[in-house]
Amino acid sequence: MNPRRLSLLLGLALVPLALASLFWDPAMLHSVAARDPGLARTILIELRLPRTLLALLIGGSLGLGGAAMQGLLRNPLASPDVLGPSTGASLGAIVAGYFLGGGVFGVALGGMAGALLALALLLALAGRGAATNTLVLAGVAISALGGALVNLALSLAPSPYALYDVMFWLLGSLADRSLPQLALAGPIILIAGGFLLARGPQLDSLALGEDVAASLGVNIARLRWLVVVTTGIMVGAGVAVAGSIGFIGLVVPHLVRPLVGNRPGAAMLPGALAGAALLTAADLAVRLPVNGQELKLGVLTALIGAPFFLWLVVKDR
Amino acid sequence: MKALAALALLVAAPAAAAPLRVASLNLCSDELALLLAAPGQLVSISRLGADPAETPLSARARGLPSNRGRVTDIVQLSPDLVVTSGGDPTAAATARRLGIATIELPQPHSFNALRVNIRTLSKALGRTATGETVIANINATLASAPAHRASALLVAGGGVTIEPNGLAAAWLAAAGLRQQPVPRGQISLESILSNPPQYLVISEYRVAQASTNQRWLAHPALAALPPSVRRLRTDGRAWTCLGPSLVPEIIRLRAAMAARR
Repeated sequence: MNPRRLSLLLGLALVPLALASLFWDPAMLHSVAARDPGLARTILIELRLPRTLLALLIGGSLGLGGAAMQGLLRNPLASPDVLGPSTGASLGAIVAGYFLGGGVFGVALGGMAGALLALALLLALAGRGAATNTLVLAGVAISALGGALVNLALSLAPSPYALYDVMFWLLGSLADRSLPQLALAGPIILIAGGFLLARGPQLDSLALGEDVAASLGVNIARLRWLVVVTTGIMVGAGVAVAGSIGFIGLVVPHLVRPLVGNRPGAAMLPGALAGAALLTAADLAVRLPVNGQELKLGVLTALIGAPFFLWLVVKDR
Repeated sequence: MKALAALALLVAAPAAAAPLRVASLNLCSDELALLLAAPGQLVSISRLGADPAETPLSARARGLPSNRGRVTDIVQLSPDLVVTSGGDPTAAATARRLGIATIELPQPHSFNALRVNIRTLSKALGRTATGETVIANINATLASAPAHRASALLVAGGGVTIEPNGLAAAWLAAAGLRQQPVPRGQISLESILSNPPQYLVISEYRVAQASTNQRWLAHPALAALPPSVRRLRTDGRAWTCLGPSLVPEIIRLRAAMAARR
């Protein structure tokens, strides 16, 4: 399929999803508006709007980050949520927010720094066209270490709600996010994402091999550096606001890449749009009441993503 | 320390058979023990009971050695009575195996269960008169509860709330506040906004410490609630054990409500 047409279709699919997220439970909104229109407006603007836009942006950033990492590392298992950057971002955000007394902005900076550190560690351990299992081993180790350090940090943090905090940072949630959080993460994700999208053609040439790409005028060292830093910043900003949400970055590129002739660069925009659609849909599903409580987003994305991971394993066996 | 205990004994003079070296292992047994025991009768309380961020009664614990809720922490103090309330379920059995008299105070789910806990401990301490005073205090607070109850929602950071049929809600009712029928656990800002209570009672607990739950209380949507929703603040520490330390808190809430009318 023509990538442009695929993107258009996915973009169109986002419209009903976004509207459903914005106007979820219309009966409730209607009855609140009848009683107190100002309160209904507060619900829409202060709660629904940031939730919907953050689902679109963060889902998009995860899909895009996954597509970019898989393209750069030429590895089908590379993605921010499997190989550590997401957990690294959680850890960075926790250190900044709980120990260094950072405000909302400090937490975001910590998240970005954590994601970058995890990525740098991953590349140092398994850089430059490393074999799949080396990369995955390194990534899984970094991810597990990150998760353990998140638990350790929250046990040491003087937080009265440590258990809730562990759930939030490791499973993610978009419930009760605010406009200031959107104003912080939104621009960072948009700018970094746009920058990453512009590297698409170079990633396409890289898919032909490093020598071919170099002969086509691609500065591979610079490309690698740029993609890693932008992905880290983009993922870190999202995690600082919504916790680390699993599996979207892994699954989405696999869904779209076959549709665009297996070109990693061409898969980036459709990947971003499909990621946005998937996270928005998942965030709608968590709002279906289970035992009176909202599920954590990561629980749902893992329920979708883990079987997909298994299918990948079986398919390549 | 021993001389001090002897001196205290002379002053307080508990019943002859009463234990003289009492150790409490958990926060809620700490609270009752700190209220009921004679001066010098306690030799150790849990570190939570000694922490001013956890209980309003910690000031009474000054100078007492604290433990981490384990029997190993207190054996060297050779206690003659160990009191527990939850925590490590094997602690009471361990203490009994070591031949130490042990009382387990179950978590109360009603005022009657709370009265039973107070009577059990005060009897074991040889302090029945003190126990009856504490119970009379609770009864008087309940008897003077306002007949009219305004709808209310008690929330702590992150929307952590109480179930509408439990002991916490019953204490709230004594202040003239009826907890909204919400599901247990956490409530979302959206549910609060879609059905705002007359009183939003914000439970303050370790407010200076960072946490995603704590940040939730600063969400702009809470600030945008209509002025018809009155806000009350309550000491979150008193709501952990739901014991006698809620009495002054309930009276304070009544006064705060009267001032808002």
